[in-house]
Amino acid sequence: MKLDRRIIFMIVALAVVVPLLFPLGLPVAVTDETRAVYERLERLEQGSVVMLSFDHEASSLPEVRPLAEAILNHCFRRNIRVVGLALFAEGAAVGYDILHDLAARHDKQYGHDYAYLGYRPQYTAAILGMGESIREVFPTDYDDTPYDDIPLLREIRNYGDIGLVVSVADGSLPTYWVEYAQARYGQEIIAALTAVMVTAYAPYVDAGQISGVLGGLKGAAEYEILLGRHAAGKRGMDAQSLAHLSIAVMIVIGNVVAFGLRRKNETTEAGGHSS
Amino acid sequence: MLRKIPVMVCAVCGVFMAAQYFIVSGPVSQLYGTVLDWMQIIFVCALLVGILHVITRQIKNISRPGPERWYAMIALFGIALMVVLGFGWGISRGSPFLWVFDHVQAPMQTTVFSLLAFYVASAAYRGFRARHAESAVLVLAALIVLLGRVPVGEIISPYVPQTVSWVLNVPAVAAKRAILIGIGLGMTATAIKVIAGMERTYLGSGGR
Repeated sequence: MKLDRRIIFMIVALAVVVPLLFPLGLPVAVTDETRAVYERLERLEQGSVVMLSFDHEASSLPEVRPLAEAILNHCFRRNIRVVGLALFAEGAAVGYDILHDLAARHDKQYGHDYAYLGYRPQYTAAILGMGESIREVFPTDYDDTPYDDIPLLREIRNYGDIGLVVSVADGSLPTYWVEYAQARYGQEIIAALTAVMVTAYAPYVDAGQISGVLGGLKGAAEYEILLGRHAAGKRGMDAQSLAHLSIAVMIVIGNVVAFGLRRKNETTEAGGHSS
Repeated sequence: MLRKIPVMVCAVCGVFMAAQYFIVSGPVSQLYGTVLDWMQIIFVCALLVGILHVITRQIKNISRPGPERWYAMIALFGIALMVVLGFGWGISRGSPFLWVFDHVQAPMQTTVFSLLAFYVASAAYRGFRARHAESAVLVLAALIVLLGRVPVGEIISPYVPQTVSWVLNVPAVAAKRAILIGIGLGMTATAIKVIAGMERTYLGSGGR
């Protein structure tokens, strides 16, 4: 059955826009995967350091921002200190904004409770280099303040002083964290990924090379539930639910109609042969 | 000679990077740190070459008649603007550079990316046809995963998300793991060939 593409576009647009304007409040069940990430952060001692790497482009911002915010909310609420950085150039500006916004909401002080190192090119060299000395890879922070002038960073030499690395990514960067930081230096890694990337990392989770995966808007929504707050992740789930449902309905209708047409053609051909 | 020098450099670097993994000593670590610094320097040089290529390409497009010259002008203006804003006012909070990034570049990129949803919906409608048994399995799996990854799946039946979890964690992981092992073996074989000088395609036409 031929259906004008514009009708499909209109159905998808309505399925996305309507729930954003009029939230449905669909129930979101927390999966074991998200709970594992939450509990790993709960087990970190207060004052320990989480390295949050913004390894994504600006294009995936609507999906990765809720993930990063959920992790940061949890860290700041538990007085876990955060060192931010970016291994993609576009992630640098995004991470800078998110980290400062969330820190301001939790009354955290720059240089003591959190710091932002900015971007370094060539992620392989950057990840390996930080295993030897983070100061060597980032002599200054994003705002050009020398590394040793920042009290939090003075305490951190290499991965040995980092409790957990969280890679907020929309691509293959967590693979490099596994290959170069986890395999070589034993650094524990958690990946906060766009939904489409989650399956790609399942073998690493199974093998214990990644401690947990937080996947897509749904992962963010589940994490928000565990934190007891509703934000962008939960709001987006209604829209995503209806969009998925509309696509599924279209696939079913398309198949039913195609099946009917095929049967009709077969009957016509059989009738033609018999006559 | 022009071909032998890069092959030798590559072989020495390859052997050193493999060996240093197993050697813990001051001089080796120092040399390793220097190699990492050089990797970043070379990457930045490649980045500069890329920027220069984009600029020269856009200048060429401007000189040609046609609608592309206007796009080229906008591209060049964008590059120049970000360079001026970045070097002129810095990239800190409240800077014009960050304002343009947050209010122009990020929304533009997310808009283009979000268009995928419409094309994916259209492609799914046209592509997911159960023409025979194998494609019927594919369509069924797609429908279950599509619904099971959102709260609607839980509302339909608690078995839907459970089935999704099984599909993603068993058959999908098995296939992915096989691919990863294949990639790993391929990468190891290629690395050995590069170090041994048998694989020279990275030299371009000079490698033949």
